[in-house]
Amino acid sequence: MKARYASTIAVAVLIFFAGYAALFIAPDEKTMHAIQRIFYFHLPSWIAMFTALSVVFVANIAYLATRRSKWDSLGVSAAELAVVCCTIGLATGPLWAKPVWGIWWTWDARLTTTFILWLLYISYLLLRGLLDDPEKKAVFSAVFGIFAFLDAPLVYVSNRLWRTQHPQPVILGGNNSGLDPMIGKVLLLCVIAVMGLMILVLLDRYRLEQLRQEFDELRLEQEALALEPSSIGRERS
Amino acid sequence: MKNFENLFAAWMIVWVVFFIYEISIARRMARLREDIESLKRQMRER
Amino acid sequence: MSAARAAGILLAKELRVEFRTRELLSATIVFALVVVVLFSFAFDPTAAESRRYGPGLLWISFLFAGSLMLNPSFARERTNDTMDALRMAPISPFAILSAKMLANFIFMSLVEVVLVPVFSVLYNVSLSGIVCRLVLVLALGTVGLTVAGTVFSAISSHARLRELLLPLLLLPILTPLLIGAVEATASLFVDQPELDRTWLALLAGFDIVFLTASWLLCDYLIEE
Repeated sequence: MKARYASTIAVAVLIFFAGYAALFIAPDEKTMHAIQRIFYFHLPSWIAMFTALSVVFVANIAYLATRRSKWDSLGVSAAELAVVCCTIGLATGPLWAKPVWGIWWTWDARLTTTFILWLLYISYLLLRGLLDDPEKKAVFSAVFGIFAFLDAPLVYVSNRLWRTQHPQPVILGGNNSGLDPMIGKVLLLCVIAVMGLMILVLLDRYRLEQLRQEFDELRLEQEALALEPSSIGRERS
Repeated sequence: MKNFENLFAAWMIVWVVFFIYEISIARRMARLREDIESLKRQMRER
Repeated sequence: MSAARAAGILLAKELRVEFRTRELLSATIVFALVVVVLFSFAFDPTAAESRRYGPGLLWISFLFAGSLMLNPSFARERTNDTMDALRMAPISPFAILSAKMLANFIFMSLVEVVLVPVFSVLYNVSLSGIVCRLVLVLALGTVGLTVAGTVFSAISSHARLRELLLPLLLLPILTPLLIGAVEATASLFVDQPELDRTWLALLAGFDIVFLTASWLLCDYLIEE
């Protein structure tokens, strides 16, 4: 699998350079200094998460339309990746917030929405775990996934409206210090690196799911074969 | 550099989470491949 | 048979089944009352505090009660094996689904009709002058709750741990509805009640999105 090795090495190199750039090349921010560099991992993990969520949505629709199991495999793989990236985002956020704002968490529109999305897609994975029949698992998780994705903008809008009515004491400025072009370049590098990592792990997870299906099919075949010899023997005698 | 511990913790989180996840996938794949091989062997013996 | 007629007949069946014993309704009403009482220990129900927390507590008790009440909707069919009969009959899946949604809407509304006056008495919130607008908010919120709840009841009826799974799936999805309903109700519990249109729009938007999605996906929900 030459492509596999090549891409793994490419992503590893990207991450090395991205990390180096984030830690050493990017300019020091005036007020927050070192802690601001968390932003270079934090924002890319959100972008990776939203990409994964879109993949889940597309895979869900494609599965219901075609009933081909590869779409179901892609759906669950992307959902797991989305939860992983979301967990990273939710974990790195407070690490940045505590030194900067003095609080670990705040219930603003973006954070609340992200937390709810995290819960929703964990529920997606739990639902799959509680459904035994593989076809039911695929169909019902696809339906739930579609509802969850349609709900996401509603969650964001409702939280935004609510927050404009009950404004926060903490002013949430954007993370962009804006003016220095180097920040933009380092950020882009980090986004590409994290996305590359996410896609690589996604493909691995997809392969795992396909392997599992191959195993289940083989097991069914084996059970069918196990029944045959005895029934044929009985007929002959 | 102020607050370096938090920055380091964040950096490690990104790595460790992805790493653990990837290792769990790789282990499950290896185990599945073993199971598939032994199933195929069993079926050939019949 | 037209879908509307089929849905009507199924709806009559649902209502008849429930009103024979009324066990689900009574249990749900009592549960909602228990939640309302429990909340009274969480804060001091003076008039000002009640106006602040009242809307939230009212809607949370409806959501909790609803998550428990919506489970038997499809679970009953599975235990009695009547789901196969429904599927094989010449009726469209959306007729089956909408009959259940309507039945759940009626049951939930009955629970609310009992709960809201009790709540207003226990927490000293006056309902005079706002009844019509409150009914509108309750109706829009209940539509969203029962549409999403019936869909997820259909899904969870196939799974293990369905009593835990249904709230787990339903409550995060309903957060926009909860925010909209609570804020709309809160705008009515003030001295100069004025129904905030933004929240009505949010509730209506939620209902439309979920109704449309259930209509588009109903085939997959009813299949075996």
